[in-house]
Amino acid sequence: MAQAQKQKHAADTRPWRDPNAIPFVRIEAVSKRFPNGVLAVDQVSLDIYKGELFCLLGGSGSGKSTLLRMLAGFEAPTGGKILIDGEDMAGVAPYNRPVNMMFQSYALFPHMSVEANIAYGLKRDGMAANDIRSRVEELLNLVHLPGYEKRKPGQLSGGQRQRVALARSLAKKPKLLLLDEPLGALDKKLRERTQYELVKIQEQTGVTFIVVTHDQEEAMSLATRIGVMDTGIIAQIGEPNEIYEFPNSRYVAGFIGNVNMFEGVVTEDEPDHVRIRCAETVNDILVPHGVSCAPDQTLWYAIRPEKLQISRERPEGDANFAYGLVDEVVYLGDLSVYYIVLESGMRIQATKPNIDRWDEENIRWDEHIYVTWEGAAGAVLTS
Amino acid sequence: MKQVLALAVGMSILAIPALAQEEPVLNIYNWSDYIAEDTISNFEAQTGIKVNYDVFDGNEVLEAKMLTGSSGYDVVVPTNNFLERQIQAGIYMELDASKLPNLKNMDPAIMTTLAISDPGNTHAIVYMWGTTGMGYSAKAIAERMPDAPSDSWDMIFDPEIAKNFADCGITMLDAPAEVMSAALNYLGLDPLSEDEGDLQKATDLVLSVRPYIRYFHSSQYISDLANGDICLSLGWSGDIFIAQARAVEAANGVEVVYVIPKEGAQVWTDNMAIPKDAPHPDNAHKFINYIMEPEVVAAISDYVFYANGNAASTPLIDPAVTGDPAIYPPDDVKAKLFAIKSHSPAYDRLLTRAWTRIKTGQ
Amino acid sequence: MTLMDSLAADSRPWAFLRRLLAKAGLSGRGLVIAAPMLWLLVFFLVPFLVVTKIALSELVIASPPYAPMIEWTKGGELIVKLNFGNFQFLFSEPLYLNAYLGSIKFAAISTLIALLIAYPMAYLIARSGERTRNVLLMLVILPFWTSFLLRVYAWIGFLKGNGVVNNVLMSVGIIHDPIVMLQTDFAVYLGIVYTYLPFMILPLYANLVKLEDDLLEASADLGARPFMTFLTITLPLSLPGIIAGSMLVFIPAVGEFVIPALLGGPDTLMIGRILWDEFFSNRDWPVASSVAIIMVVALVFPIMIMRSAQDRMEEKAK
Repeated sequence: MAQAQKQKHAADTRPWRDPNAIPFVRIEAVSKRFPNGVLAVDQVSLDIYKGELFCLLGGSGSGKSTLLRMLAGFEAPTGGKILIDGEDMAGVAPYNRPVNMMFQSYALFPHMSVEANIAYGLKRDGMAANDIRSRVEELLNLVHLPGYEKRKPGQLSGGQRQRVALARSLAKKPKLLLLDEPLGALDKKLRERTQYELVKIQEQTGVTFIVVTHDQEEAMSLATRIGVMDTGIIAQIGEPNEIYEFPNSRYVAGFIGNVNMFEGVVTEDEPDHVRIRCAETVNDILVPHGVSCAPDQTLWYAIRPEKLQISRERPEGDANFAYGLVDEVVYLGDLSVYYIVLESGMRIQATKPNIDRWDEENIRWDEHIYVTWEGAAGAVLTS
Repeated sequence: MKQVLALAVGMSILAIPALAQEEPVLNIYNWSDYIAEDTISNFEAQTGIKVNYDVFDGNEVLEAKMLTGSSGYDVVVPTNNFLERQIQAGIYMELDASKLPNLKNMDPAIMTTLAISDPGNTHAIVYMWGTTGMGYSAKAIAERMPDAPSDSWDMIFDPEIAKNFADCGITMLDAPAEVMSAALNYLGLDPLSEDEGDLQKATDLVLSVRPYIRYFHSSQYISDLANGDICLSLGWSGDIFIAQARAVEAANGVEVVYVIPKEGAQVWTDNMAIPKDAPHPDNAHKFINYIMEPEVVAAISDYVFYANGNAASTPLIDPAVTGDPAIYPPDDVKAKLFAIKSHSPAYDRLLTRAWTRIKTGQ
Repeated sequence: MTLMDSLAADSRPWAFLRRLLAKAGLSGRGLVIAAPMLWLLVFFLVPFLVVTKIALSELVIASPPYAPMIEWTKGGELIVKLNFGNFQFLFSEPLYLNAYLGSIKFAAISTLIALLIAYPMAYLIARSGERTRNVLLMLVILPFWTSFLLRVYAWIGFLKGNGVVNNVLMSVGIIHDPIVMLQTDFAVYLGIVYTYLPFMILPLYANLVKLEDDLLEASADLGARPFMTFLTITLPLSLPGIIAGSMLVFIPAVGEFVIPALLGGPDTLMIGRILWDEFFSNRDWPVASSVAIIMVVALVFPIMIMRSAQDRMEEKAK
């Protein structure tokens, strides 16, 4: 539901597809080398547009948090340039940036009430007391915590604290909001509900969000676009479905969702198709489109489990199938996951939606079966 | 268990004759730097008694220990005015004259002085005696006031003169009875007076010079005088002689002089006494008798620059000591010396209060 | 518990002891609580009662120099004499009030100075890297390895007329005559601040090291300049450390005797010296005890107030 709505919204405005659009945040070849020699961010370039909900996705040490902290002004880049709304941020202190941040720890001031926490930034701007009061009320309504003004952070639940932190970071109506693992500290159920609220609030306020997360599901459901980071560089930027269906590297393919990865060598390299000899599948893989690669180059064919079909019948043709033994079947309700050991010894997984409530004919554990796929269903990766 | 008991009984049986004889141990509590280097070792060699020798640097500390009781000491050395009250408090035992044959060596005059505090000389024997006078640094005084009346209490008690020495530092003993009796004597009043009006006059006198006084302390002035950190002290004769010797040793150009002012000064005696609860009273008597040997006490006087109360020792003492009028004053000076008594508790309270007011300049 | 278990338990040497204590109604937890209580009883309450007893006695010339409080007469009467005259006397003499006030003044000003010096030091230590931090902490604690008295004497060597400071200043030509620093209030403040500074630094450090960078960054992020962040975040959050450190400096400083006696002038009026004078010079143990009792009582109240303030602060922080 949430995804559908967001997708629709994103479909209406996708400035990154418009070559004439002016990016709101421009990150130009930014690097960060720490005094201890670690290169946390390496020549990252990235454009983010107004109203986007951009997710920086990566594991720990990928540099995503460092990049976020450079946007907030807590770290200074050792190379490159950051422009926010056309303004160079070099030498601009955090307290002078049109940017606010929501911290992973929430960083609520423990000695102040909810009200004082939210009003903190407004007070620094010298806003009149009356205006502050009404703004705080407005924000507490926005995050569904009306009447919590006088509570101390210590008296709130984790979810409530998260929402106060969000309200506080939105109080000053920043042009850009940075969110560091905004849902990381919440349990799974709360996280799903909050995801939805976060997207809604982003749409209501129109603030540009940059979210750092290590959780690919979170990134998929929140983001208009995702930047996948790996050891200081951006591995791929794209809309969630692009990243999922058209990963550009084994790292990205493996990081988001499950994937079966077959290694092979190009034997036929034609403009309209490519044939890959693969020891793991035994049979060749036939891809019905051209791939820019050298003859005899090693490459990888990445295919998602839901793109695989299983059957007891041997398929037609000489390619795009493999033979193996069902090692394990995991029933998940909506679908079942089959773990199959191929002739070559490689273990792969395939999923099958459980369309019928009861199917006597279902393939079971210990059966020998064929796995087949459409040649275009997988991605050919050269790195 | 039985064995242990038997052993304990056996030991106690053995202990009885030993008690009659006393274990060969003696615990002495004396002032610091107040004995010759070999006095104790000679005594130990002669008697086979092992001596534990502790030191203190103020009558107050000694008194607090004595009043608390069970100090474990056999011989202690209080000053006469402290001794007096401590005798009243019943701390000391009467001496057994039969065990002190050397009593005959003592100077009757000084023992009579002590009798003011210890009537009949029944509790204590004079160890050393001296005066409470003035010590000064000759060069510092001459620089500031070439015609300074250095033989008179005017140096300290006349504000017009004392103010000249404020910058180089005047100090007084932190001992109310001694300073106030000197002030009373300077004013021509009875140094032993317990009259409140007299006390007020003396207090006013000291307060009049109070702005020029660097501090009140009973031992610090020794090194300060020797180093030239201060230039004029109301202090004890022996301490000032120590300062003199240290300055000579350091060869720092400071020449310390001690005078008994012409107006007269207090004479005090430090006295050997035996606490009532002394564990080794016999050994204590032996030690006191040993100190009364002329040769022994003469050696101590040579070492500490104090006159002793032993007439028989005088010829044996270094003439440099006996010939110094500041240590062995001539008869006309002696005539002006006075001893002080302990005061009544009521007057003591007044005196302490007055003293605190003086010290804090209130 | 099976038979084997209980046998195994019995074979442990402390099992017997535990059963014995259990019979006496004592559990292990009870003992853990009892130990500090016993400590307080033996080393605080009992001495305090002894001093109270002396304070309520009369001065006599005897050993010990105060009259017994409880007496059996020959007629079999039990006479309990409580003498409040000593306390009356303290209140009738302005000297004692002045001495108390003087002590509080010295302690309060010293505490403030110590706080002003210690805070940046503690902050620096808390903010530095782990290795530097350990070295700096060691440096703070290092003076404790030498005798306190020795360190105070060292200050005498620095401050006296021909001491280090004057000699340096004179040889450089900044001054021509030595400045009188020893035996002044200045020297007392210096001595107290120097001696008690670690007691201020350590609790402040313990507090500031817990201060999360996130909070400071959040404050900056919301538009607060560093000084504003210090005033609104760091300072209020470190109040428990400030209170703890201030108590650790203030309380011993009020009763301080050695520093004013060695570094102070004769007019440095502090209750510790009055107490010494009453006890030693005046040998008036009852009055000395009364002075001590009033000092303890006078100190207990500020401690209680500060403690409750601290508790409130911690409550707030939750």
